[in-house]
Amino acid sequence: MTFRSLALSNIRGNRRSYSAFFLSSVFSVMIFYIYAAFLYHPDVESGFIMAASKIRKGMEFCEYIIVIFSFLFVLYSNSAFLKTRQQEFGLFSLFGMTRAQLRKLVLYENAAIATLAVAVGLGLGTLFSKLFFMALGVLLKLEEPIPFALPLKAIGITAGGFFALFMIISIWTALRIGRTEIVDLLKAARKPKGQLVFSRWLVFVAAGCLIAAYGMAFFMNSDTFVVLSLPILITVVAGTYFLFTQLSILVLTFIQKKSAVYYKRTNMIVFAQLGYKIRDNARILFIVSILSAVVMTALGTVYILQIGSKQSLLASSPFTLAYSEKGLNTHEVIDQAELKRIVTEDGFKITKEAKAVSIVISRYAIQWDDEEYREFDSDAVIISATEYNKLAEMTGQPSILPENGKLTLAQSNYGRVIRNYKGYVKGDINGKNKEFEISSVVDTKVMNSMQNNYYTFVMDDFSYVKLVSGIPEDQWNVIYGFELSNWEKSAPTAEKLKNLVPEELQPQIDFRRASDLANMNETVSLTLFIGMFISLLFFIASGSMIYFKLYTELQEDQAQFKALSRIGMTKNEMRKIVVTQVGIVFFVPVVVGILHALFAMKALDNMMDSSNWIYSFVVIGIYIAMQTIYFLVACSSYMKTMLRGATA
Amino acid sequence: MSVLQAQGLGKIYSSKGNVAYKALEDIELKLEAGEFVGVMGPSGSGKTTLLNLLSTIDRPTSGQIEINGVNPSKLTDKKLALFRRRELGFVFQDFNLLDTLSIKENIILPLVLEGMAPKKILEKLNPLAELLQITPILEKRTYEVSGGQKQRAAIARAIIHQPSLVLADELTGNLDSKSAKDVMDSLKDMNERFKATVLMVTHDPFSASYCQRIVFIKDGKFFSEIRKGTNRQAFFQQILDALSVLGGNFDDVPFARA
Repeated sequence: MTFRSLALSNIRGNRRSYSAFFLSSVFSVMIFYIYAAFLYHPDVESGFIMAASKIRKGMEFCEYIIVIFSFLFVLYSNSAFLKTRQQEFGLFSLFGMTRAQLRKLVLYENAAIATLAVAVGLGLGTLFSKLFFMALGVLLKLEEPIPFALPLKAIGITAGGFFALFMIISIWTALRIGRTEIVDLLKAARKPKGQLVFSRWLVFVAAGCLIAAYGMAFFMNSDTFVVLSLPILITVVAGTYFLFTQLSILVLTFIQKKSAVYYKRTNMIVFAQLGYKIRDNARILFIVSILSAVVMTALGTVYILQIGSKQSLLASSPFTLAYSEKGLNTHEVIDQAELKRIVTEDGFKITKEAKAVSIVISRYAIQWDDEEYREFDSDAVIISATEYNKLAEMTGQPSILPENGKLTLAQSNYGRVIRNYKGYVKGDINGKNKEFEISSVVDTKVMNSMQNNYYTFVMDDFSYVKLVSGIPEDQWNVIYGFELSNWEKSAPTAEKLKNLVPEELQPQIDFRRASDLANMNETVSLTLFIGMFISLLFFIASGSMIYFKLYTELQEDQAQFKALSRIGMTKNEMRKIVVTQVGIVFFVPVVVGILHALFAMKALDNMMDSSNWIYSFVVIGIYIAMQTIYFLVACSSYMKTMLRGATA
Repeated sequence: MSVLQAQGLGKIYSSKGNVAYKALEDIELKLEAGEFVGVMGPSGSGKTTLLNLLSTIDRPTSGQIEINGVNPSKLTDKKLALFRRRELGFVFQDFNLLDTLSIKENIILPLVLEGMAPKKILEKLNPLAELLQITPILEKRTYEVSGGQKQRAAIARAIIHQPSLVLADELTGNLDSKSAKDVMDSLKDMNERFKATVLMVTHDPFSASYCQRIVFIKDGKFFSEIRKGTNRQAFFQQILDALSVLGGNFDDVPFARA
């Protein structure tokens, strides 16, 4: 047996505990390579794929995240492995293996695993890169598919980078072994579990931190965001940490005192062991909780932002197609019949059609209370109450009744700035300077913004008729609005219509809604798509940490179950104990993570002034489903080895 | 009334490619209620195999066992586990106490698994703990108490649910002579006060001298049987004589008090 074959057989012997770590490493290598393969793709580098620039920055950022995360993950896993193998190392030392040889052994083992992980990761990455490119091609709406490529630079960076990362960490961990006495190494596994203790103070800190954090998140809004976000982050992290190290012990001690619950069949064993399981794994549970919260909040945020911007898009452009025109029947912007023909030809139906007459006030100025007049470069319009209410009804907004002879300003998001709605507006109407009193402001928008309706003033019908009677029809400003069925897909049609409008009249039209939405959706789906892999990486890694922890305690648990089986515990009871314990270890961090994420989303809702819980629940649901699958796999394999060991 | 009855008990270990190995052959054993019986034999004589068969964690290849009128080899796995839990009590050489539980919790484990009400459990525990002199350590953890105390706790666990038969496996093997004496006194006490039927496997002549009757086996077969008279010291001498006739190697457990 050579030294190398000893290292290899060590890996084979420990393959169960290595497997989850190996899998996560392979996964991070794979994701890293796939991103790198895109970034260093010949067509992307040469700038042939123009759209690639949209996602390059984001992907590079993700690459950094993967490296940093992999570094921490491998560092943690490596030192955890060495800790579980102390007894083995003690035995090797006892047989006369020198410290240098021991280190060499560890390095050999790690080098073998690193090589394998990098090779498998690159292989799978190459295999799936085409699939990734295809998905990306669809999302970027590329005409031609991105061809398959094996960029040498990507392979080099991935292989070299990850191998270096693995080796640096294993040199670092290898240097730390062999400083302990052999006796202590040999005894390492048989150390008694010790008493479960908690500090009353730290329990208060845990509860206080969590309550404070949740309270702050619950009441946070966009005004307090800057002040509160950092305290919330700190209190959540601290609170979660002490939740697992202290508060959990308190809760379990409390349950143990409730004899009606505690002395009920298998409960006693479950809760007694759970205390130790949670204490020994507190740090992992803490990390996994925070990771889960981050992943869920991030996914939720992206979607809520998308929904929020769609809503604000709808609020700011009530109609899919809108334009304004000078003169009641001039049709200089676009021929209505032609517009309708094209729309129908492209398979859309006009669900709402609006036409409203208004009067332009040019070079207008507004004065509020005692302030000076503020002058504006743009134009504003005055519209009659009847016309306004017609549009309001069409767009589902409340109708208004302006005071006689005074104006009401209808402008979304305006009400927040002005404290007292009393003011004056003056400007030129048909060449004559006029001044009106503004008696109120309503936070609505019934028409898209175009060149000359930046502000819309509503006037009672009687005064309006008086005003309009002195103005010829060809000076009226007529506003047209069309709402299409299935408007989300109407961007090409809008583009076609836009090309029919003469160049100088372009500022008078607003056909942008569909294309704005498409752009927004594209950004969101690209972010989600790229972010999904990172989330998946976090998820797999966090699960594998729990899985690994389970396996390091397997031997101890096996011995316990063997004893229990002898004194007559049935297989079903053992199964029940294992499922409860493994289940709690798997799901407690998820529940804590969900709770954190829910409060984060509540804060987000406060800031966005909207409420989109359904999507949050979808994200959470997916997360729970995935964790459940992971749990079932881990649990059944754990149970199999456990039962085999217990009944042998 | 006989609590345990084994007839023609045999166990052959065979696996593919290996020669079949006869571990036990034609063992007859009968225990009356309240009896305290020891099984002795040199290393490799089949003591552990016999105990495994009687503990129902292994099945005989020939012959049959009846414990309290039930033949365990006819039970399903689940019923067998429940049978062990209700009808048998175990005391092991290495204690087999769970270190995540306190001493008290370890003792009451069989009752808790049966779903007994907490109040009733305490009613059973307290007198027993008093008798075994482990009341002061009930709340302690397993690593905080001595080996003798652990073994007395294990005896309490084996007896608290009033099983038909208590099986003890080298229960003094890990103890010093003082603790061994305490533990054997306790076991004897349990046997006399609660009329517990005890079958003990040992190769320590001192521990064996507490039994009323000793069955010797050698090479998997019944060898001889001796009964105690009135005096334990005399019985001890009798056991040593029987062992010298039996021959074989008795050194596989270190004797702290040799």
